[in-house]
Amino acid sequence: MARCAVLTNDLQYDLVNKNEDRRAAVAAFTPKMTEFLARMRALNVPIVHLQLINREDDPRAERYDGWLPVTKGSDGARIMAEFLAEGDTIVEKNKDSGFYETDLDERLKELGVDTVAITGMQTQICVQTTAADGFFRGYNVIVPSDAVVSAREEDQARALEWLRSYCATIMTTEELVAAVEADEVPQFSTVAIP
Amino acid sequence: MSAANGRETGNVEGRHPLIELDHGTGGGMSQELIAELIAPRLGSVHRGRMEDSAVLGIESERIAVTTDSFVIDPIFFGNGDIGKLAVCGTVNDLAVSGAMPRYLTLALVLEEGFPIADLERVLDSVREAASVAEVAIVAGDTKVVRGGEIDKIFINTTGIGEVHREVELGMGQVSPGDAVIVTGWLGNHSIHILSIREGLGFEGRILSDCAPLDGLVWNLLEEHPDQVHCMRDVTRGGLGTVLNELADGAGVTVAIDHERLPIQRETAMAADMLGVNPLYLANEGCLCLFVDGEAAAEIVETVRLQPHGRAAEIVGSVVERGESAVRMRSAGGGEAAVEVLYGAELPRLC
Repeated sequence: MARCAVLTNDLQYDLVNKNEDRRAAVAAFTPKMTEFLARMRALNVPIVHLQLINREDDPRAERYDGWLPVTKGSDGARIMAEFLAEGDTIVEKNKDSGFYETDLDERLKELGVDTVAITGMQTQICVQTTAADGFFRGYNVIVPSDAVVSAREEDQARALEWLRSYCATIMTTEELVAAVEADEVPQFSTVAIP
Repeated sequence: MSAANGRETGNVEGRHPLIELDHGTGGGMSQELIAELIAPRLGSVHRGRMEDSAVLGIESERIAVTTDSFVIDPIFFGNGDIGKLAVCGTVNDLAVSGAMPRYLTLALVLEEGFPIADLERVLDSVREAASVAEVAIVAGDTKVVRGGEIDKIFINTTGIGEVHREVELGMGQVSPGDAVIVTGWLGNHSIHILSIREGLGFEGRILSDCAPLDGLVWNLLEEHPDQVHCMRDVTRGGLGTVLNELADGAGVTVAIDHERLPIQRETAMAADMLGVNPLYLANEGCLCLFVDGEAAAEIVETVRLQPHGRAAEIVGSVVERGESAVRMRSAGGGEAAVEVLYGAELPRLC
């Protein structure tokens, strides 16, 4: 029996409000995403929000017109209210992958999780790197195609294709909920590099 | 505190936990840093006499000399650091010239505020790498600049090697019919460093290949003294750049097969995700060999017996003299030019 957890990436005020493209893309994906999270909570699937926190001393942290977004304790760093519910877990990260120098791996292992559904923003950066990192750490990785979001559709399409090719099963949220309900979560099978 | 060789390294860190400008002025604190920390930390690989220059014995009529500066960011990575890199990079440049590495200089430029404990880690790596490569550090320099004028630590090493071979190595020896051998996974150093910088999640699976290759080279030249025609260290610019330089320098066309390139699966994944071509990614422990085509199969087996040569592959050949070009054949039978890379390389990889 698979033990699944949902990981969200970067659903934070500063990051979503970076520009109009992001705001619009997240607004379009929010109804489906919130419904998905609610259904997974109802199935007792743990929800873990990966919260990007930029360190002041990190020269590589992206600045927006000279200011540093998502600093520790700031309002802009908070997980957006529509995606957060009581009982959810927040894990702080400082880089793209949610596993990089965090205790995410330990927390998931403590919960007995072997399958991670990776969601959130943006598909071609944090979703992709967290998926690869999870795959390398031995997790069965699923990416629900309607629970990930990118400002540009072409970036999302390319990232999903990459994920499908290398490390993740791509399915819809509807299919994933049904699979969890039926205890038939698919396992990713490695495909040889052509 | 004691260094790995058991010699006391004084208590420089206790008195000054961070590098100060006075550590580089040539005064008492400079002397203290060198005499109580740097020299003891380097241990037996340090042969400096603290004089204005080192006077060295050489047992060959010819020497090889090379110099390189190391500015890698981050200075510590999964399986190495800037100290190891500074030794291996220079040792490898000597080795591919057919020289036996003998001596290194070590020049440190330190940023004010750099932790002494980090300097000790770097010096430990210098000592270990120099010990493995059997080179002596015979001269050095330490400068300190104000905070923000550099990033933590930059290192320059100059290497001197003895050339005992009578058979020349070099681009002039390459001719049609030669096989091209690559001795290790392509691109792993670049992807490892980039993954650490950005937290991409590949750094645990793809390690830097940073290693001294003088042992591999000497074994190869002993086993196949006349069949190895040219060796190049595949560093910045990657295999694509090395092959183009060779094609230009030797006036030949080189053809390689995409399918035969040694590329780790995870490296291919990362390169595909990042939109970069493994052909142009940097290595720090990989050679490109041009060898007698008829001996290539035997040579590649010799290389694979070496710890840093297990992934070696014959990847192509020199096909004709005349046109300077590099072509890559795909599995489907197509062929495309491998162009020269102009300025798109990632910075501070070594």
